[in-house]
Amino acid sequence: MTAVVLAATIGALFAIGTFLLLRRDLIRVVWGLAIISQAANLYLLSMGGIAPATADSVPILAGHGEHVPQTADPLVQALVLTAIVIGFGMTAFALVLSYRVYEEHDTLDVTELGDRE
Amino acid sequence: MTTAPIGTDTLVIAPMLVVLVAAVGTLLLGRRPRVRAAVSLAGGAGYAIAVAAIDWYIVLAPDAPGIATYQVGDWPAPFGITLVADGLSAFMLTMVAILGVASLVFSTRHLPGREERSYYFPLFHFLALGVTGAFLTGDLFNLFVWFEVMLMASYVFVAYSGGPQHTRAAFWYVSLNLLASAIFLLGVGGVYATTGTLNMADLAQRLAEPAAYGLEPVPVVGLLGLLLSVFAIKAGLVPFQFWIPTAYRAAPPQITALLAGATKKVGIYAIIRLSFTVFAGAEVAVDLPLPLVDVAIAGDSPLPFVGAALFLMAGASILLGGIGAVGRDSLEGVFAYSSIGQVGFIAIPVAIAATATAPGLRKFAIIAALVYALNHTLAKGLLFLAVGTVKSATRTSRFADLGGLASRSPPLAISVFVGSLALVGIPPLSGFFGKFLVFDAAARARAGPVIVLLLVGSLLTIAYATRMWNQSFWGAQTPAVEAATIDSVQVAVLVVLAATIVAVGVGFEPVYEFAEAAAEAALDTEGYVDAVDPQNASELTDSSSGGGGDH
Repeated sequence: MTAVVLAATIGALFAIGTFLLLRRDLIRVVWGLAIISQAANLYLLSMGGIAPATADSVPILAGHGEHVPQTADPLVQALVLTAIVIGFGMTAFALVLSYRVYEEHDTLDVTELGDRE
Repeated sequence: MTTAPIGTDTLVIAPMLVVLVAAVGTLLLGRRPRVRAAVSLAGGAGYAIAVAAIDWYIVLAPDAPGIATYQVGDWPAPFGITLVADGLSAFMLTMVAILGVASLVFSTRHLPGREERSYYFPLFHFLALGVTGAFLTGDLFNLFVWFEVMLMASYVFVAYSGGPQHTRAAFWYVSLNLLASAIFLLGVGGVYATTGTLNMADLAQRLAEPAAYGLEPVPVVGLLGLLLSVFAIKAGLVPFQFWIPTAYRAAPPQITALLAGATKKVGIYAIIRLSFTVFAGAEVAVDLPLPLVDVAIAGDSPLPFVGAALFLMAGASILLGGIGAVGRDSLEGVFAYSSIGQVGFIAIPVAIAATATAPGLRKFAIIAALVYALNHTLAKGLLFLAVGTVKSATRTSRFADLGGLASRSPPLAISVFVGSLALVGIPPLSGFFGKFLVFDAAARARAGPVIVLLLVGSLLTIAYATRMWNQSFWGAQTPAVEAATIDSVQVAVLVVLAATIVAVGVGFEPVYEFAEAAAEAALDTEGYVDAVDPQNASELTDSSSGGGGDH
């Protein structure tokens, strides 16, 4: 069940991201990129698998005591954290760049940008 | 590893530490231009020394171990971050070190922009840090991280000059690479789900014996394709070449030299490392009809797929790059398109190596690719730096405004002439051996159509090099050229690079031996796995999960 929901969510995110990426507005392009990188992160997380938590896969749970729910693979969580930070920074940079593009070209329309040389 | 002299393992991390210290140091010294330039040059020199030490103590010395690993934080292999220096990494690092130092000395004379100058040197070192990390890492996810470090610095450089066209170029460059990063993550995630590891040595080991680890190697072919497309974007192979002309025109010329000479090679390096060292052992039955080469295309690894894809991409690159370069109207335009074509010349022998079944031919083709890559780094680095000299002296690089540069500054003209001839492949320059080996590899593979393609590409190279030369260096001096003040230090850098090109061509024997060691390292999966030693660590997990650590 979880797998189906995850697959559907990731698929939907990629679809939305691709849709936004193909818009004419630069801000939407940046949004599209942000959503696609988040979809990739989610995909990465789901690739580690979600399994009943044991002290072997998640050492910190050894001292937890009570029943714990299923957890994602801790390795991919570490990877995804790194990827989120990188993706977030780059999205911020892309937003700043699009502001600068607006300042210099007076437009955020992709088709108008392409015409100027 | 026990036979290695003391310190070779620590040596692996030396170049990264040097550039990191240089980057932070120049960042702190932002307000003192002279000290900052001095620290920066010292960092460049330290980097070159560290790389030379790796070359000698790990690869070339008579009793060198050939490969050394550094386990960051002393965590054993598949869990910790592993840094690996072998012949292939060392060869690539050497190219970056030569070009990096040249570009750094060049940069101390002329910086574009005004108030942004204080960030130039830190960014330069971070770019070098990313490239170095990508060459040394032994872990797929870390490769992603180092790619990002390298790209972040290059994003800023593309936007650096601050004009409208620079911002626009940077926006498309950033967008494309963000998308590529997402695809890279998809590939990494897929590999992790399929094999349960991201350490390259562990990966190679598991793929070689899929039954022992209970994994299914077939999905790996598709995932390798995904990763290949990401690396092809970095290398600028057709159909992923479209960002190159605008980004190369927007970045400062001395950075473009690095982008063409160093970051492009990261893409090539990643293709070679992953295809030959890591994924070559995967057992996948292949039967692929490919009419270009006579050698058997069927095999039992994903390599023929890599080869087929690379043949198509490289062939298209050679044609598109060559034809595009002939029609450009500025120096950077010609060299940017030429860069697309030349990377095709590097990828063709890699493709031959991937489809070859004979081990001798495979090794020879990789040597050809590496020698050609070295030549491209030197020649294209020199030519882009020359664009920087011309631009800072005349404020233009358009053919319409240039002419008679040869009579204005003979040393500049001779250097550019040597660089162009190296691209064309005239003996005794480094380019001759590069081209000769590529043709030889194609002939040994009995790939007739490929030879025709290479010939067409070479003719196109002659055409655009001649045209570039005639339009900007010969003829009457234009007002812009007459008024130019050409910086002598910049020209000295160009002359030194030109001399290096001649020296590599004349004393080719040791270069060939180095390339041979690099090719052997690229193909030596077992040596790589032994050096990184992930087995040791998986025994650790077995004992801790099985016995609960009761001994």
